[in-house]
Amino acid sequence: MTTLTVAKPRTRPLISWRVRKLLIGYSYLVPAALCMLATVVVPILLAIKMSLYADILYKPQDYRFIGLGNYLRLVEDPVFWLTLRNSVVWVFGSVLLQFLLGFAAALLLQQAFTGRALVRTLTLLPWIIPGVVVGLIWEWLYQPNYGVINDLLIRVGLMQERVAWLSSPDLAMAAVVFTNVWRGIPFFAIMLLAGLQAVPDELYEAAHVDGAGVFARFWHITLPLLRPIIVVATATRIIWTFNYADLIFVMTGGGPANATQITSTYTLLQAYSSLDFGYAGALSVVLLLVMLAFTWLYLRTTKGLEDTE
Amino acid sequence: MDERTSLSRRKLLHTLAGAGVIAAADLAWWDAPFIAPRRAWGAEPVRFQWSVPEPTRIALMNSLVERFNQSQKDFAVQIEYVPQAQARQKLISAITGGSPPDLCQVWDNWVGQFNGMGAVEDITARAKTWKHYADVVPTAWQTVTINSKIISLPLAVTLDGIYYRTDRLKELGLKEPTPDWTWDEFLALSKAFTKADKNQYGYGMRGSGTWALLYPTEFAYANGAEVLKDGKVVINSKEAVDAVAWYLDLALKHKVTPPSAATDGFVEIVETFGRGVTSMYQHNSGSSGQQKKNVGVDKFATLPLPIGPAKKRASFWFSETLTMFKGAKNKEGAWQFMSFMLDDEPSLKYNTTLGLLPARKSILDRPVFSKDPALAGFVQSFPIGIVSPYLAYPGWGGKIDSDGVPLIQQAMLGKVSAKECLDRFAEILKKEMT
Repeated sequence: MTTLTVAKPRTRPLISWRVRKLLIGYSYLVPAALCMLATVVVPILLAIKMSLYADILYKPQDYRFIGLGNYLRLVEDPVFWLTLRNSVVWVFGSVLLQFLLGFAAALLLQQAFTGRALVRTLTLLPWIIPGVVVGLIWEWLYQPNYGVINDLLIRVGLMQERVAWLSSPDLAMAAVVFTNVWRGIPFFAIMLLAGLQAVPDELYEAAHVDGAGVFARFWHITLPLLRPIIVVATATRIIWTFNYADLIFVMTGGGPANATQITSTYTLLQAYSSLDFGYAGALSVVLLLVMLAFTWLYLRTTKGLEDTE
Repeated sequence: MDERTSLSRRKLLHTLAGAGVIAAADLAWWDAPFIAPRRAWGAEPVRFQWSVPEPTRIALMNSLVERFNQSQKDFAVQIEYVPQAQARQKLISAITGGSPPDLCQVWDNWVGQFNGMGAVEDITARAKTWKHYADVVPTAWQTVTINSKIISLPLAVTLDGIYYRTDRLKELGLKEPTPDWTWDEFLALSKAFTKADKNQYGYGMRGSGTWALLYPTEFAYANGAEVLKDGKVVINSKEAVDAVAWYLDLALKHKVTPPSAATDGFVEIVETFGRGVTSMYQHNSGSSGQQKKNVGVDKFATLPLPIGPAKKRASFWFSETLTMFKGAKNKEGAWQFMSFMLDDEPSLKYNTTLGLLPARKSILDRPVFSKDPALAGFVQSFPIGIVSPYLAYPGWGGKIDSDGVPLIQQAMLGKVSAKECLDRFAEILKKEMT
């Protein structure tokens, strides 16, 4: 005897599996998105709001909406333009030298030699010391009256008189940039070293067989294959350095006579010395716009380079 | 027999031992006042923010707070240490965030700003009925009074004076300066001390921090100038310009200051003196303790500031205060601790340990302060002590740091003249007079 079973019609789900899969995917992102919203987007919106108000903390009676008043004040503030110029010197001076010296260090560390592991570890030292400590150490080294740098340079005969490295408006920026370069070299060295280790040896061997010299191998193999890392590392470092106020704050406090005042230290000064949070808010927003514009320009210029591989 | 209901000898002993432990714990709880101070249920602790520039203060404050906590049973003072460089920033963030500590230790030049923010508790009524009210030096009360309201207790007071190396005087065969010395004598001594080829300079000029501007202002007062006169800013008067130009010439013309002067702050002026790089510097009594260790008790002394061409001189008076916030959750507790800190023993301990001067006359008159040569210059400065003119408006304190210091640095480096520096500074002060 045969039994006939009637197939039940399949119930159509309310939401298609495609949409459901999409929703599940998005639901995984919700916690991270909420965190971003609370810690990044909301503070930015609050800073924008703050910048549109006269908000001097010790004058609560004067708190009022002034629209673009703080921005107009900023345009007329000569110190702001000076800090912007200083920021460009600080950022590009630091990052360019960090990159070049970091690259050189990575190429050296890639070579086989006795004690390489130890040297690689020691290379990281400046990077792992907190910024404030680095600032204090170098302030001490630069000290003109009893600092080691002046003492050594005089002893070896390179200088006759003591130089006030951090107190001279002509030298102070170079001195803090040098310290920042010292601190940032390991970052590039380690990033680029990781990239170098991923380059297949066969490529170099093939190029060598084809008669390519050291420079040609570097230019046609090493550099193109490291481009994605270079683009990402440089962009990250530029943004960090723009916001990095610790070293300058500790070593010179923006002085002498604003010679090392960058926009981020000036913002701190306006917020916590003058208690002018409205103006500090406007400075922060402008700083954000400058960085966004720069990042957009940089990524546009280097578009495609990160996909070289 | 059902074993579940039986009580073995072992179980009985366990039960008795357990009951004994519970009873002992209970008894200990009842007897707690005889073992340690008991905190009253529900009493809020007093949160006390303390800024720390050096380790000595931590040990000192721990012992004073512990002693206070043991002296009473109702609540505890909880101390929150903050590095001095961040203290102001942290307080501002806490005030704007609506969670300031109950009490904090700050300098009076910050209190005006906090008061302007509407954050400081008015303690006039408590202070005026306090047992030591009449014993506090009147000028100390002035430093913590705004619009006839007392807003802090002056824990310690300071006046600026000149530190000088007595050992170098002897070494160079120079005449000992007297308390009524003049600008000319000060300059002559600075020159005599300066041996640039040996890295020795006469005067450790300060170029960093608030006092970089306050020190030349004190010299301006010695030339008959003022900051504020009849409600108008007159810091750019001829007398002030001449005095500041003379002061700047110490660096620019006479070169009796170290080359690093434009960025030298508190640490540098104290350190260079201690290492023998400079032989004089201007500061309050707060670094006398450190110099006793660095230089030696018998190798330095202090003097009041020199008399200027106008036959005048002034030393700005500052107070280290204990300030209560409006948002304090235990105001009575905070007041009890504040007043305890100004009692005889804690005040004496605090000021002698840190080399500061107490705000109470009866303590200040003790030989430990009045007979100490390291403090003589400051005690002798009391007659010329005035409240800092920059306390007049709450916004001025911040403007000194953000605008005034870069201006005086430019002047110290010869980038702008004394007149240009003071004209620009006067404009900044005028804008902040509302």
